[in-house]
Amino acid sequence: MQREEKQLEASLDALLSQVADLKNSLGSFICKLENEYGRLTWPSVLDSFALLSGQLNTLNKVLKHEKTPLFRNQVIIPLVLSPDRDEDLMRQTEGRVPVFSHEVVPDHLRTKPDPEVEEQEKQLTTDAARIGADAAQKQIQSLNKMCSNLLEKISKEERESESGGLRPNKQTFNPTDTNALVAAVAFGKGLSNWRPSGSSGPGQPGQPGAGTILAGTSGLQQVQMAGAPSQQQPMLSGVQMAQAGQPGKMPSGIKTNIKSASMHPYQR
Amino acid sequence: MRKILSPRVRGYRQDFLKIAQVYPVPYLTGGSESSCVVFNLDTMEAPPVTMMPVTGGTINMMEYLLQGSVLDHSLESLIHRLRGLCDNMEPETFLDHEMVFLLKGQQASPFVLRARRSMDRAGAPWHLRYLGQPEMGDKNRHALVRNCVDIATSENLTDFLMEMGFRMDHEFVAKGHLFRKGIMKIMVYKIFRILVPGNTDSTEALSLSYLVELSVVAPAGQDVVSDDMKNFAEQLKPLVHLEKIDPKRLM
Repeated sequence: MQREEKQLEASLDALLSQVADLKNSLGSFICKLENEYGRLTWPSVLDSFALLSGQLNTLNKVLKHEKTPLFRNQVIIPLVLSPDRDEDLMRQTEGRVPVFSHEVVPDHLRTKPDPEVEEQEKQLTTDAARIGADAAQKQIQSLNKMCSNLLEKISKEERESESGGLRPNKQTFNPTDTNALVAAVAFGKGLSNWRPSGSSGPGQPGQPGAGTILAGTSGLQQVQMAGAPSQQQPMLSGVQMAQAGQPGKMPSGIKTNIKSASMHPYQR
Repeated sequence: MRKILSPRVRGYRQDFLKIAQVYPVPYLTGGSESSCVVFNLDTMEAPPVTMMPVTGGTINMMEYLLQGSVLDHSLESLIHRLRGLCDNMEPETFLDHEMVFLLKGQQASPFVLRARRSMDRAGAPWHLRYLGQPEMGDKNRHALVRNCVDIATSENLTDFLMEMGFRMDHEFVAKGHLFRKGIMKIMVYKIFRILVPGNTDSTEALSLSYLVELSVVAPAGQDVVSDDMKNFAEQLKPLVHLEKIDPKRLM
């Protein structure tokens, strides 16, 4: 018995606080609607609705909580009715109920809805029962499907519009440029002095020396290493007179190997 | 000590490192423990580390690379983001002139060396770099990996290379910003084509974008570096997409 009483009290307190929260948020919503009607935006209204719905949810949860005794089993009976002002009651109800009299009691302590409301509810239940379980299930499923389709469409639209709006602004690099720059640094594509023809000029790396044989030189030039030390470095054959920057280009590719020793001096 | 090239070399890559001293060139390679080498031509000999040519024993340094680009109008936002992400230092700009030299031997593929000089820092040494072929194979590795040898030299580098038989293939001017985060080096630069060969004043921009490079020079085998690079690259999205771009695909 005691435990149940305690439980009842605890659940009543919880319920009270929840209802108070709900009342406050409803009050603020009404204020908002009345005062800021001109400036109100749809998202703000949605926010208020979401708040209310959340609070109703928690209220439901509190009621469904296992520790909550069934309030249905409890009955409230007015013991004393008096037409005098009751200060305690005023305080507790924040000034709304000054008198606990026979006018107030039927409204506050009622357990059944209004007769009209009761009629409507009865109508709805008979309609629902008339349809039949299967049809009802099918209707539920189709409603769910339509809702999810709609949600999907909306989210897709939102995503596409966002990315479409951002893309032209956010281009911070150009992959073509990346490739061009890397090619230029790696093997001189577009930088070659011999073919100053635009940025996409063919800087062919495979034949760097082929195009610059000087007309008029015999090609029989021997290049001696300055300051040859005691190590007998054989003469390196001056093969291609590929001096950078020579305008006389003859892509003849003549290579004349003179006296290159069998041991290439720069063998690695 | 006059810092110039020693002609007493037998091979390019490993031997350069073996007979030389280490000279730190932080702004070129990023990080204080870079390995640049300087030769001594005064005495026509290698410094007396050892008088015999050393075979083997060098650390194979690899360059891990991620590249991307950013359009000119987004450069400012990228610079701001990099300033926030990278090590706190004064923003460094650079203006470099790079020349790429080829040595065509009997082998089919020519040997490529890159010579770079700073146009806005007086007195800075020239920078000679060898980059190997990118290592293929590991799809999980997020960065392009290639063998890398960096050397600081004196100003007569081009003469020396020409005497050795190299010929200049192409050149360009790079102008941009340099950032550092730990061992990672981030360069944002614009490439300018040189219209009159040899004249670095007459340049025109190659494209309307800046090239963004994230690179790390580390000893071979440290693949965890590429994971760090990938994480850093994630933070630069969606401004820049840094990725592993295979230059052979763009030929």
